[in-house]
Amino acid sequence: MSAFEPNLQSDAPASGGDMDRRSFLRTSAVLASGLAALAASLSPLRKLDDYVSLERFVQKYYKELTPEEMKQVLKRIENEVERQYGIRPHVRDLKPMDGVEFVYALNLTRCIGCRKCVHACVQENNQSRTPEIQYIRVLKMPHGSLDVEKGEHNYAPESVPEKGFFYMPVQCQQCKNPPCVKVCPVHATWQETDGITVVDYDWCIGCRYCEAACPYWARRFNFTQPSIPKERINPDMAYLGNRPRRQGVMEKCHFCIQRTRVGRYPACLEVCPAGARKFGNILDPNSEISYILRTKRVFIQLKEELGTSPRFFYYFDV
Amino acid sequence: MNGRFKAAWVLRGLVVLFVGLAAAFLLDLWGRPTPLRAIPLVDPAFLDTATVRRSYADLVRAKEDLSDFDCYACHEKNKPPVLRYDEHQNLLIPTEHSDIVMGHGQHGRNNNCFNCHNETNLELLQTRDGRQVKFTDSSQLCGSCHGPTYEDWEAGAHGRISGYWNRSRGPIKRQDCINCHNPHSPPFPSRHPAPGPHLLHELTEAPARAETAH
Amino acid sequence: MTHALRDYLVFLRRCGRIAFVGDWRYYLWMGVLTVFCLLGLNAYAKQLVNGLITTGMSDQVSWGVYIANFTFLVGVAAAAVMMVIPVYIYDNEELHDLVIFGELLAVAAILMCLAFVTVDLGRPDRFWHLIPGLGQLNFPASMLSWDVIVLNGYLLLNVHICGYLLYCRYRDLKPSKWFYIPFVFVAIGWAVSIHTVTAFLYVGLGGRPFWNSSIVGPRFIASAFTAGPAMIILALQIIRRVTAYRITDRALLTLRGIVQVSMLINVFLLVNEVFKEFYTGSSVASSEYLYVGLHGYHALVPWIWTAITFNLVAMFLLVLPLSRSLKWLNLTCVLCIVGIWIEKGMGLVIPGFIPTPLGQMVEYRPSLNETLICVGIWAFGLLSYTVFLRMSVPILQGRLAKTNESLPDPGIDGARASQAAKP
Repeated sequence: MSAFEPNLQSDAPASGGDMDRRSFLRTSAVLASGLAALAASLSPLRKLDDYVSLERFVQKYYKELTPEEMKQVLKRIENEVERQYGIRPHVRDLKPMDGVEFVYALNLTRCIGCRKCVHACVQENNQSRTPEIQYIRVLKMPHGSLDVEKGEHNYAPESVPEKGFFYMPVQCQQCKNPPCVKVCPVHATWQETDGITVVDYDWCIGCRYCEAACPYWARRFNFTQPSIPKERINPDMAYLGNRPRRQGVMEKCHFCIQRTRVGRYPACLEVCPAGARKFGNILDPNSEISYILRTKRVFIQLKEELGTSPRFFYYFDV
Repeated sequence: MNGRFKAAWVLRGLVVLFVGLAAAFLLDLWGRPTPLRAIPLVDPAFLDTATVRRSYADLVRAKEDLSDFDCYACHEKNKPPVLRYDEHQNLLIPTEHSDIVMGHGQHGRNNNCFNCHNETNLELLQTRDGRQVKFTDSSQLCGSCHGPTYEDWEAGAHGRISGYWNRSRGPIKRQDCINCHNPHSPPFPSRHPAPGPHLLHELTEAPARAETAH
Repeated sequence: MTHALRDYLVFLRRCGRIAFVGDWRYYLWMGVLTVFCLLGLNAYAKQLVNGLITTGMSDQVSWGVYIANFTFLVGVAAAAVMMVIPVYIYDNEELHDLVIFGELLAVAAILMCLAFVTVDLGRPDRFWHLIPGLGQLNFPASMLSWDVIVLNGYLLLNVHICGYLLYCRYRDLKPSKWFYIPFVFVAIGWAVSIHTVTAFLYVGLGGRPFWNSSIVGPRFIASAFTAGPAMIILALQIIRRVTAYRITDRALLTLRGIVQVSMLINVFLLVNEVFKEFYTGSSVASSEYLYVGLHGYHALVPWIWTAITFNLVAMFLLVLPLSRSLKWLNLTCVLCIVGIWIEKGMGLVIPGFIPTPLGQMVEYRPSLNETLICVGIWAFGLLSYTVFLRMSVPILQGRLAKTNESLPDPGIDGARASQAAKP
């Protein structure tokens, strides 16, 4: 039995159903004040302008949108961007080309670690400046080791390259066997036929499982509303690419889908002063990327042992 | 009655607590998000796709002033310039060409201007096997010694290519050797790097560790 | 038909009403919990508006206390049902009614798990994307999709079992075996599966070698079966104190046996892990960070060693007959619960992110808002469990029954109502 006698008086009503007036008032006061506190606790939601849109709430999955629905969605996005940034963008839904599989190669002899690729990517893909989202991370590695744990992220010398080090930019490897695609609970990220792993920003629920799964730390999350300065908006946009994202969704490098699917090189490649970046269609034997993979002897695929089969090859000339 | 009395007081206390809580919520007394310190926008120079140098061909294309390349404005035709060396076999650069810094090869290799320049016709370059090369085709000259790199360059694996990977959709621009490499001092120049990454929360645990640790 | 429906609605209404009736201790407890719930709700409203930047998470450490608490509570939910084994497999009648208290704890724990996962989502308005048929549930490839299915299934299973048994008791009917025994056995297997699926969430990530290890699954089960029954031991003593419900010490000691064996296994698995990590000199960076610190970062080192100390002390106490005395048993249970909570949260979830797959060291500290939300959800769980007990104890005691429908609601211990029940 219990160690002490519990207090036998409880505040039960005196007789079947009737309550005396004081306890009734008291109970109502508690309920009313409780409900008032409940309503007040939700008061910050007054500032919630981001969520309220029935159209966006019921928007279908990318692969289920009919061409007409996609047209409407693109128009809606154009209106939203114009409203927010004052610039009317051109948003397209670009489909993958047949007979194309993209591969990226990076010449570690040539990269000087200037980080221009990082910032060109930010500019091209309308990434948030504050807080900062950068798809590419350049590691300063000591000669002789490819162990990323020896890499440094925040180097800031007077000039690069520094003696005794080489520089390795890392971004989404567009793996053939992508762990992020496997773990996404809602199929918000998948790999297209041209090898690019894409994200449907309007379908992602923001669980960040893909971010935990990626062995290359390539995925980024919008922890708050992204901020892009109006004067730096790139109005040439694609649905699965560089259209501005919203709070609470994932994003990552998509090989500049708005450029590569119309035949152009990605922005990181165009800006690289040393020509360390090489990109192209591996199914075309005449492309420079095919030449590189044919002739260079040693390739590094990062964390090869994990079986992700990245489409990103690092190599050395000398 | 004791229990009932206590219960009544507890309920009164709860009413006060709830009302106080409601007031605290409406007044937004805590948990206000700290405004983010704006990260400065990157210098547009870091977004520039221009090459390190401009080649003679670029200048011709842009129809710019080519008087610097008019050798016979100073030199005499059919009179090869005389090269002068100091006691350590270093080439002495004349003051008229003081902008040239020699650095093409270690241990003083390539100490002879006429390894590349044609002494009989200063408006041309020459290879070691006697081929005459125009200034606009200078990459041929580079390739005459740097074979493997030239092969890579031709295939697009070395150097910069911009434009369209899909040649049927648009043109490409392949840069010449001297768009990146100064022919007199070819090692690719070092430069100041663009700013590094910022942390979301800029935690204070390791503020000064940025330089040394990871 | 309508008569049965009417009876059921009356039952529900009486259960609902009784949640608001109690003595001053009940009002104080519920009131304080409600305050914490509201604090959490307010913090969550701020998080909805401003995004997850109000937490301490970042791209480097992208899961924090929300998922840590989720992981711990899935274990509690799984273990709460494991009490079922002695009763139904070993025919231990002592524990019979206590099974319901265990399953109600499982329901409360699952509700907390679902709440923790929801507050962790960047876009909770898109939760419908997870509903099979309506959305695009990535089953069977994504372990998270498995988790969605098994957790909700487990919730329904336990709600059914408890609801059915309690309603039968309310109507003073003998429950039909076919309506609950098969479900009970399914629940036993399902309990192990919910925690294993949660373990596989971590194990299935090849890019995180700290998690990608076969010991994670067994460790999850061992630690869950330590912390879960420990919580039930404490909960049963509180029920015993506050209500007049009869719970024997033998029931508590049976549970002690479960905690004892589980803790021994848990410590054994810990020894295995530490040996594997540190013997060869090539330890995974996250393990180094956790146990000894790495590159000057060592925030988690005091936490893990505290957890290990608690676990070892608890293990020794459990093995000694000293813990047969309730005072020592309670201390041991607290040590188990706290030790395992630290182990699962700071010892498993956070170190998996430090260093990042690219070797960057960024530490994590939960923010005020994040902490308020966690406290709010825990308060909500305790509130739910209290309400469940407030409803089920009088039913099990026979004080809230169909026969006394017209009488006033029974108090916490029922002295008044039992007097009023006399004709």
